[in-house]
Amino acid sequence: MPDLENEIRNMIAEIVEKDPAQVTLDAKFFEELGMDSMMALEIMAGMEKKYKITIPEEKLTQLTTLRETVAVAKEYLEKKNA
Amino acid sequence: MLNIEEIQKILPQKFPFLMIDRVLELEPGKKIVALKNISINESFFGGHFPGQPVMPGVLIIEAMAQAAIIMFYSPENVSGDKKASYYLASVKVRFLHPLTAGDQLKIEVEPIKVISGAGLVKAQASAGGKEIASAELSFSVKHV
Repeated sequence: MPDLENEIRNMIAEIVEKDPAQVTLDAKFFEELGMDSMMALEIMAGMEKKYKITIPEEKLTQLTTLRETVAVAKEYLEKKNA
Repeated sequence: MLNIEEIQKILPQKFPFLMIDRVLELEPGKKIVALKNISINESFFGGHFPGQPVMPGVLIIEAMAQAAIIMFYSPENVSGDKKASYYLASVKVRFLHPLTAGDQLKIEVEPIKVISGAGLVKAQASAGGKEIASAELSFSVKHV
């Protein structure tokens, strides 16, 4: 789902105030992009709103790279559509 | 619903930094509607601005944050001597109209996403049916 990837990349780039090109699939949120836990919460809430899904709190620690974040969004989108 | 005496028991902020006068509606953790009356006696009007009283936008945000604290308050969360400290993490806000003396600021807050120790809320401020500001605030809570 390339669209999902780009939509989430742009959302993350805005929250961490970086260029979307810096948010590569495997750039580490905390070490490389300067993210903190409150920004991670914003990303989670942003995905919930955009895709009308509910992501449980324990998934927060899984949001460490764009690849992982897209996987979480995909998982809950599939659950919603199942 | 909550008068000023009850509000003062809940809010960690004290005079002269109480930005909520009354709570009209409260569904703990789900929704709050609160009021602040703006008087010409507000100390900030002396400098903001001389001859042209405009309530500072940052204080509207503070009122939103205090309403959110009351919304999330529950007696069960207060354990013994441990007090909750609230830290604002981010604010996304748009101001639409200025507030002045004589206005009654109405604030409505609802949660967007709440996890243990942190939350993101949506807040709307209005006065006399006119939209004053809308915002999203994120904050963390620590019990110390």
